[in-house]
Amino acid sequence: MRIAAPVILLVLALLAAIALDRPLPPADLVVVERSDCYTLDPQRMSYQHELRRARVIYETLVNLRASDCEVVPGVAERWERSPDGLTWTFHLRADAKWSNGDPVTSADFLYAWRRAILPDTAADYSGLFLDIRGARAFFEFRTRQLKEYDAGGAGTPERAQAAWDDAMRAFDEMVAIDAPDARTLVVALERPLPYFLDYCAFPPFAPVHERTVDAFTSLDAASARLVQRHGWTKPGHLVTNGAYVPTTWRYKRDMRLEANPHYWNRAAVVAKSIDFRTIENPNTGVLSFESGAADWLTDVGPEYKTEMLGERRAYLERYRSEFEAAMSSGLLHDEAVAALPPPVAGERRNIRGFDAFGTDFFSFNCRPALPGGKTNPFHDAAVRRAFALSVDKAELIKRVTRLNERVTGTLVPVGSIAGYPEVEGLGFDPERARAELKSAGWEDRDGDGIVENARGERFPTVDILYSTASPRYQNLALAMRDMWKRELRVAAECRGKDSKLYKEDLKKGNFMIARGGWYGDYGDPTTWLDLQRTGNGNNDRGYSNPEYDRMIEAATSIVDPAERLRALAECERWLFTVEVPLLPLCNYVTVYGYDPARTQGMSEHPRLEQDLSLLGTPAQRAAAKSAEDAAAKPSEVVP
Amino acid sequence: MSGAQPSSLTGLVVRRLLQLPFIVLAVYTLTFILAWSVPGNPLENPEGRRPPPEIVEAMQKQYKLDDPVAFYFDYLGKASGVSWLVGAHDTPFDLGPSLKQPDWSVNEILSTGLPVSMTLGLSAILIALAIGIAAGTIGGLRPGSPVDALTQVLAIAGISLPSFVIGSALLMLLAVKLGLFPVGGWGGISYVVLPAFTLSLPFAAYISRLVRFGMIEEMGADHIRTARAKGLPRWKVALKHALKNAFLPVLSYLGPATAVALTGSFVVEKVFAVPGVGQHFVDGVLGKDITLVMGVVLVYATLMVVFNLAVDVLYRFVDPRIA
Repeated sequence: MRIAAPVILLVLALLAAIALDRPLPPADLVVVERSDCYTLDPQRMSYQHELRRARVIYETLVNLRASDCEVVPGVAERWERSPDGLTWTFHLRADAKWSNGDPVTSADFLYAWRRAILPDTAADYSGLFLDIRGARAFFEFRTRQLKEYDAGGAGTPERAQAAWDDAMRAFDEMVAIDAPDARTLVVALERPLPYFLDYCAFPPFAPVHERTVDAFTSLDAASARLVQRHGWTKPGHLVTNGAYVPTTWRYKRDMRLEANPHYWNRAAVVAKSIDFRTIENPNTGVLSFESGAADWLTDVGPEYKTEMLGERRAYLERYRSEFEAAMSSGLLHDEAVAALPPPVAGERRNIRGFDAFGTDFFSFNCRPALPGGKTNPFHDAAVRRAFALSVDKAELIKRVTRLNERVTGTLVPVGSIAGYPEVEGLGFDPERARAELKSAGWEDRDGDGIVENARGERFPTVDILYSTASPRYQNLALAMRDMWKRELRVAAECRGKDSKLYKEDLKKGNFMIARGGWYGDYGDPTTWLDLQRTGNGNNDRGYSNPEYDRMIEAATSIVDPAERLRALAECERWLFTVEVPLLPLCNYVTVYGYDPARTQGMSEHPRLEQDLSLLGTPAQRAAAKSAEDAAAKPSEVVP
Repeated sequence: MSGAQPSSLTGLVVRRLLQLPFIVLAVYTLTFILAWSVPGNPLENPEGRRPPPEIVEAMQKQYKLDDPVAFYFDYLGKASGVSWLVGAHDTPFDLGPSLKQPDWSVNEILSTGLPVSMTLGLSAILIALAIGIAAGTIGGLRPGSPVDALTQVLAIAGISLPSFVIGSALLMLLAVKLGLFPVGGWGGISYVVLPAFTLSLPFAAYISRLVRFGMIEEMGADHIRTARAKGLPRWKVALKHALKNAFLPVLSYLGPATAVALTGSFVVEKVFAVPGVGQHFVDGVLGKDITLVMGVVLVYATLMVVFNLAVDVLYRFVDPRIA
């Protein structure tokens, strides 16, 4: 048959294609993630898994030690703060190097921070830089300049260049970031920020290699905007200053990091190579982990979490006394688990849930009116308190979310920020809830089972908005709807929407109660409390109270750190006992899949800032430890 | 008429290639309207932080997302290479940056994903041909026998069971329990087997039914009876004479089937974590990553026309009656 020839050719071509596409050689550490990085540009990233990778690809001025989130030296070996708390001076270490051998200089930081502030770069976290003196004025200057350029007729390369030169002059004059020499960086702030070092440890504050980025950046004559081509973050071009360099990155497939030979602290790096594999389907991710292909599954699929954690509980229950003995002998949790006999069928130890630096909540719409001019009962704080008091969160955890989350009445997770006191919010109190509702004028006057106001108008049907992205939100919304119907005698309806439409509705304020949630960015309560400030970009509730704005402003301008935290705690207490713009339910639980006998070095600190360069087998970790000790000694002798 | 055949073949190829830009333009326009009407803003993250509004606005301007008409022509010019020809753009066939993954251009995404999807899709078609022809021939030679009944039941199952069910079951059994294959990923033949087999099943089922029907018909035909009467063994008659004709409907099915195998594999790609274009495309649609969606559609529309053309050419070789 004449058709045989093309078929044979096709088979040969396929076999060749398959044979040429070899997998990478095995890495020391294999991590399976739900999604690939959107970008490796530190100034533009904003997702947790990106930031986690960025922490080992780039090194910031200071580092957060994963185990306790203490600030430790990074590129800067030491630093000073002026007595007024406004000016910070960083002294960069001499042996900080880029992966091509170039020294890391203060100019690299200046360049990177300028990128982050420039509206051209579209940095999600540019807001954090606006606390630097003059940064906001410069951001507004450049935004205005670009607007005027757009309005001023057809652009030319010369005009664009002139505008850019103006902007650079303005930056030098306005923004208080200075690099007096290659190893000194001086930054002045608008107001004292006791947690500024925490910012400095955050990947958007990482340096980038100026020559590399510049080669991919040009001025767009039509808009005068700085336009960046994406290629510089790709292996082969990307120059990094952290523990690792990406050597392979295949879109939504895998990324390989290899230890950076020029990194000053290379001896302490445990895994010499790390593979990241993207498995978007949560079932396949779990199956891949179960087949032993991954050392760390960073996100266990929601359908598996409860059952797998139950198997872990069964395992620890059986060896409870041995485990407790090991813990009291000073072993870390994972070490103690690893020392136990291996689990049998129906048990497991290769999964663990951690309380995350995140809080699950539902937002109340605090705007005076709903879209279309309908009055909004939730504008009244008493109504919000009533709805908050009538939710039995312990019941929700037990029956709905089932991950043994920690119930909370406030936003800041307990114990996550050193020196911040525990703040109590509202609990479950249906009696008081009904009294609050009555005090707001709502009670069942005609005995029809629905509350009315004094004019006899029924409480409007409560519109509960959730996103259909996860069954969790639907289940929570349905359970809370029933609680509100039962305890408060209101009519309520749930409205599930695809996450994009849900987001649109949130922005327009088209809801009464909506699913929310927040993860903290840095180690200060303001990463949570700023959300409720008037006009905050993430204030979905439309909550605006000048009293709260004033309280936060006053608290944050206190210089004494302990007193400042106490004042912030008072703000949070007032917010969640009196104002209640949102209804906190519990802290998120992050569930990792890893076998503590095989992978150690996970941080248990509530902020869960995992340091990938510390993870590895006990043998790899011991080898790195001795290499680090060896490296530490001769450096005193050999210049 | 042997002299006229090559010229008509050339005519066919030329005609189809002339049609190509119009077909692609129509597909482009339709997709553009659909993709644009998806709600949401690709520059905003579904979760997490929001960049300042000034920045979103500026980005929208930069990508021409504030002006659909300008976007339509700008993208069309860059993607088709016309802007490059007239000197308005520095690269031909530039499908633009992905709006969701700023580090990747659509060209890069396609150049990493397309070989993977092609390998998967074509492997699946070959497996489907092998299974389908074997099962169809066996069934068609003995219609009504238990073997025929069994292959028919399996064919119905292959068509009707969704691939995520079959795929997950295969993963569970062969990869996790028996450890014969890796779970998910790509790189080497062991990664290809399960997804290609899963993807092949509905095609195999359909092909087996086509072949079975053709065989039953052929085996009753006069020329087959003549061949049998000459004393040729039954298997030889079946394979040499009957199958050749029974295969013709399969050949015309192969064009669209290959196109579907290449484009419609996103479920299989998701289940087996295969980094092909299918799942990038679906993610693009969901995230309103317009440049990615438009780029994939343009490339696939072109491929589809080319594949159909290839099958038509092949058809003429196998069956010279069509001219």
